[in-house]
Amino acid sequence: MKTPLFLLPLIYLCAFNLCAQFGPDNGLKNSEPSFILLQHATIMLKAGQTLQDADLLIADGKILKVGRNIRQDGAVQYDYSDRVLVPSFIELYTNVGLDPISVKNNNWRPQMESTKEGAYYWNETVHPELEAGADYKFNENQLTQLQQSGFGFALTHYHDGIVRGSAALVALGNKDIHKQLIAPIAAQAFSFSKGVSHQSYPSSQMGSIALLRQAFYDLKYYSANEMSLPFSVSLSAWQQLQKLPSIFKVEDKLEILRASKIAKEFNKEFIYIGAGNEYAIIDELTKAKTKVALPLTFPDAYDVNDPYLSREIPLSELKHWETAPSNPKLLIDAGLQIALTSFGLKNPAEFWSALRKSISRGLAPEDAMAALTSTPAEWLGINQQVGTLEVGKLASFSVFSADPFQYEAELLETWNLGQVRVWKSYNPNHILGTYLLHLPNKDYDLIISGSNDKPQAKVINSTGADTLKANATVSINDSDISIQFATLGASSRLIQLHGKLIKNGLLIEGEGTDENGVWFHWSAIQQKAQPSTLHKKIKSDTTQFGPIWHPNMAFGFVDQPKAQTTLFKNATVWTNEKEGIIKGADVLVVDGKIKQVSRQNLSAPSDAKIIDATGLHLTSGIIDEHSHIAISKGVNEGGQAISAEVSIGDVVNPDDIDIYRQLAGGVTAAQLLHGSANPIGGQSALIKLKWGCTADQMLIKGAPKFIKCALGENVKQSNWGDFNTVRFPQTRMGVEQVFYDGFYRAKAYQAEWDAFKSGKTNQVPRVDLELEVLSEILKSERFITCHSYVQSEINMLMHVADSMGFKINTFTHILEGYKVADKMHRHGVFGSTFSDWWAYKFEVNEAIPYNAALMTEQGVVVCINSDDAEMGRRLNQEAAKTIKYGGLSEQQAWKLVTLNPAKALHLDDQMGSIKSGKAADLVLWTDNPLSIKARVNLTMIDGVVYYEESKQKEVLEPMIAQERTRILTLMLAANQKGEPSKAPTKKTQKHYHCDTLGQDATESENTH
Amino acid sequence: MQQNQKTRTNMKKFHIFLFVLAFSQLNAQRILLLHPTAHIGNGQVVASAAIGIKNDRILFVKNSLTNNYAKEDWDTIIDCNGQHVYPSFVSANNILGLTEIDAVRATRDFNDVGVFNPHVRTQIAFNVESKVIETVRTNGVLLVQATPRGGWISGSSSIMKLSGWNWEDATVLADDGIHLYWPSNPKEYQTQLREIYQFFELSRAYAFDGKKQSTDLRLEAMKSCFTGQKRVYVHAQTVRQISDIIDFAANFKLKFPVIVGGNEAYLVGAKLRDSKIPVMLSRIHSLPTHEDDLTFLPFEIPALLKEQGISFCIQNQGDMQPMNTRNLPFQAGTTMAYGLSEEEALQSISLSVCKIIGIDKDYGSLEQGKKATFFVSKGPALEMSTNMLTHILVDGKFISTSNFQEQLYHKYQRKYRNQSAGH
Repeated sequence: MKTPLFLLPLIYLCAFNLCAQFGPDNGLKNSEPSFILLQHATIMLKAGQTLQDADLLIADGKILKVGRNIRQDGAVQYDYSDRVLVPSFIELYTNVGLDPISVKNNNWRPQMESTKEGAYYWNETVHPELEAGADYKFNENQLTQLQQSGFGFALTHYHDGIVRGSAALVALGNKDIHKQLIAPIAAQAFSFSKGVSHQSYPSSQMGSIALLRQAFYDLKYYSANEMSLPFSVSLSAWQQLQKLPSIFKVEDKLEILRASKIAKEFNKEFIYIGAGNEYAIIDELTKAKTKVALPLTFPDAYDVNDPYLSREIPLSELKHWETAPSNPKLLIDAGLQIALTSFGLKNPAEFWSALRKSISRGLAPEDAMAALTSTPAEWLGINQQVGTLEVGKLASFSVFSADPFQYEAELLETWNLGQVRVWKSYNPNHILGTYLLHLPNKDYDLIISGSNDKPQAKVINSTGADTLKANATVSINDSDISIQFATLGASSRLIQLHGKLIKNGLLIEGEGTDENGVWFHWSAIQQKAQPSTLHKKIKSDTTQFGPIWHPNMAFGFVDQPKAQTTLFKNATVWTNEKEGIIKGADVLVVDGKIKQVSRQNLSAPSDAKIIDATGLHLTSGIIDEHSHIAISKGVNEGGQAISAEVSIGDVVNPDDIDIYRQLAGGVTAAQLLHGSANPIGGQSALIKLKWGCTADQMLIKGAPKFIKCALGENVKQSNWGDFNTVRFPQTRMGVEQVFYDGFYRAKAYQAEWDAFKSGKTNQVPRVDLELEVLSEILKSERFITCHSYVQSEINMLMHVADSMGFKINTFTHILEGYKVADKMHRHGVFGSTFSDWWAYKFEVNEAIPYNAALMTEQGVVVCINSDDAEMGRRLNQEAAKTIKYGGLSEQQAWKLVTLNPAKALHLDDQMGSIKSGKAADLVLWTDNPLSIKARVNLTMIDGVVYYEESKQKEVLEPMIAQERTRILTLMLAANQKGEPSKAPTKKTQKHYHCDTLGQDATESENTH
Repeated sequence: MQQNQKTRTNMKKFHIFLFVLAFSQLNAQRILLLHPTAHIGNGQVVASAAIGIKNDRILFVKNSLTNNYAKEDWDTIIDCNGQHVYPSFVSANNILGLTEIDAVRATRDFNDVGVFNPHVRTQIAFNVESKVIETVRTNGVLLVQATPRGGWISGSSSIMKLSGWNWEDATVLADDGIHLYWPSNPKEYQTQLREIYQFFELSRAYAFDGKKQSTDLRLEAMKSCFTGQKRVYVHAQTVRQISDIIDFAANFKLKFPVIVGGNEAYLVGAKLRDSKIPVMLSRIHSLPTHEDDLTFLPFEIPALLKEQGISFCIQNQGDMQPMNTRNLPFQAGTTMAYGLSEEEALQSISLSVCKIIGIDKDYGSLEQGKKATFFVSKGPALEMSTNMLTHILVDGKFISTSNFQEQLYHKYQRKYRNQSAGH
């Protein structure tokens, strides 16, 4: 880009009537024109309304008049014919003019407390006191980038942390910073990303969610009790922002749904800054009329010339690459109002190219314009001032060579509050074409091609004997033109011409010299104009992108399957009821429930699908009591010893391929547990593996509440390196005290609320999400599943519970349960264990595979769980090991992975056996399910078939292959067109284990 | 001894076993197993077999119904009617015996510092008294290839019996091969490949240099990869890696290259078959590598290799490998639902392994002249519910079918029994 050219102070205006100038001028006061009149322009007033040959009158930085034939005495007048005025775009998401935030380094040792000095909120990532408006500075480079992308206003804030403080609405000019700060406190901003804080908490997305909720409760409490509470810089500042619009930056579509729940809880509305994959949750967005500013950061194509590497690109990414540029159109088609943001794009060229790409994908030009102008203005409540070029609004607009939403137009000028910044001078001349060049003694054809900026020319004489065909050099500067060429032949002549363009280049006239230095007069007349190539129309992209699958990846459903009346005929049915295993039985499924189980032939209802199950075994679905699949961004909130406030239910990821893989292993339901990084972890999610459904649909309605606790080496951080010796507890002694302390605090908390609820006090107590959950445990409204290994700690926790008046519901892992099975039986606790794992750490030195059998012998209700995405799909095999180790019967063994976990999860009234009235969560096996030869033939949940073995090779494998090939072909075309691309990388699928810390899953060994 | 075994002997009295155990070294011992289903390990089955053993070797495996045996010829006769006999399962590429508790650094003896460490030997670090070992052999795994990890060449593996007083007498084959971990990062692939080629060039030159002055332990350890029987185990998974390894092996005229892992070997079928390079397949109980792969692909890969005529065996490298070694039979068992027959599944963890690691002359199948290293199971040993061992022999010597875990089980059973009896 050329160095911008400033017409100041030629046109220098004060933006506002009331702009008192506080500082002195240096020298004489500058004079300013009262009025500026732009004439004969094409004015795009607002989306869908354009005036041709119209005038715009500016005074005091605002639009005074707009329309035809405006006259104003004393106005400076400019001709803007052939130019298009577009209202300045509004950027909702930027940190323009703000320096990055820095924090104290903590040498990687866990940092439990805030390092900020001062009366701030306890957690560094909640800093509502940040005030972008106060810190705003001109940043020439950032301003230029935004202006050249058409933006004239920006909502700027610090892109750091979860509660990010206030955002300022600034006009994007670089003179008089006071005037540019249109609204220094215009909005507040949020995200789930912790940012630069080194504080240990939160370390997971569920932790971020809990922290944000707690902060909102704290704000409420602070506002109600400000006078009596110690002063908080953060909460005090935050109070002031509560009536402002709130923007919320997300990293993924699922985060919109997660944040929406918080918005609902606190009666707020967020304007989301999207992630680009919102098309996959259109139904949820339209239902809630969610406001999303969509990014234009479409993924680059992969280099697909190497088949080894192409193999590594999952279909999910291929499909996203294909669909992403259609994201804006798809949301508009669904009836949503959208905004667009340039955030993440490297430069204006990328912005324009991405915007045009989305337009080429069917985003209507007027919708694109609204998404950049009037819509963000409305969302921010500033549509009285900005967003259109109507009378009374700020005189901020961009001048293009054509309608930028329909043509590849050039940006010529940016007007900011009545001040112009010129990027490129307007050239009205059309010199491209064929001229008759008239020299004193000869006429030539002069052909000018190329572009107006970089013309090329040829001079030809085809008449007579003296033929000539010479390349000429041409240069144009405004209306000056110079041409030089040499004639060929025996008498080579150098001709140099200089002239003026007249009538926009229809006529050229001037003086020239020949090889002898003789001056002469010359002229050229345009014979034929070459059509301008400047304004290339944005072509509509005819790419037919593939259907959006559910989920939008391999094995996703084209159409979500529905429940169907189904009759299984002649199966070997493992009822898990007193009938035991019935051979040759029929099972009827109606409305997602088991209607009838019969030894007799059942007749099929007319709408029933009949499945001949001769030779096959039908069982209730496997229930995995301990699973870590389908979780986003962190399985552990290990930042604190107690994190009862966090919930896996907040971060269920329905797009995890492991859901489908577990279905293929006959799993229909699972408890998704928090990890074991701390004594009191987080709340569980109980889900059915309804592949293709949303996270909310997977969560079991009305399921009992659970929480994960943990004991032993993980909570002591024994195996996590020598730097992890800061957090309490580091010993089993300390673990006991953490539990007691938590429960005593919860008792006190409960007493405070009881007193308030019974009217003994008017003082509304503080809501503490952690103690809220611990109180639920004390009231037996929430059940504990506790990770445990050695007998000492198992007994300890039962003592804690007994003394506090509740029961531990389940010990999970419980590898030394066999040593204390009698005590467990007396306490009434379930045992959920591995079939045969041991030797992976010191505390499993005496783990034995006979554990499940021995606990069962002592009357403990035992489950076999996975805690492992791979083993989760072979739980039938794991159950079979209890026959080998300890001699359980087949029916006992089978219940370990079906009925018993249903009991442990208090869901046995609706699942866990094949009984009339229970949910039709059924699995058809090719063999005795405890046999190593058994495969899953079909998996059904609530009467819906989610997995069919027969479809894998016949239907799905070719379908996935074809879809891959189709998109890879498009990618190859994009590669060949020279579109930006990136190299594929080999991705190893990562998993969460009990002890995985942070938000990233790991490839490391599972140490449970 | 096992309380539940149904042993009949021609000589009277219970102390026959004491005799067998105490004096087997001194006197020629003759043991006859009658009437089991003998799974030979090479694909064959003898329905009612007679297996004769003299000292540490198998004399014969015949049909017990068509042959007669004089009772007096045998010191011990064991009636195995209704039971199954299998050759030892063999666990290749394992850190069993080299670590005791995964999370305790002090017990981890399988990974040393360095990039090219062929001279580092597992044999002398092998802990015959590992508690994990006794829980592994009670499921039928009696031989292991103790294998180092780390670096690009991690060291030399050795083949070890899971029974012995010390590493010396547990050794079946010392330094059977070196383990090369092939580059996998596409960004540095070519550079790393070049370095590997350079190292092998250097090693080969050293191997054939008759006049060398000094001893280089690294290169010394590489020598018999070129001049002798030493295997070159190359750990790799992808099409590109495997294809390049085939070229690499041809380039250096390696006599015994082996691919370890080989998830994508089924995609390089013809080239691999022509190269005759065998594959030690990754753990069957694994998730697919790619999101788009069919969910049961890892279960099916053995059958895919079989169809293409590629020699392979199954190993179990992965999470918690030492303790998981006892699940090797079930890794193989799972392939029975995905295209392998029962005998093919067995072969993939017995004879095929021994052929690849070079001990099939003595081990891997129930054949005349081979070592009597096998076990008897009440039922099919590749099924979880019926893998129950009644006799285990290692080189003709009986070893315990119990382990400390079973003893803990009985200890606590007794505790509860005594409690309910009012003690």
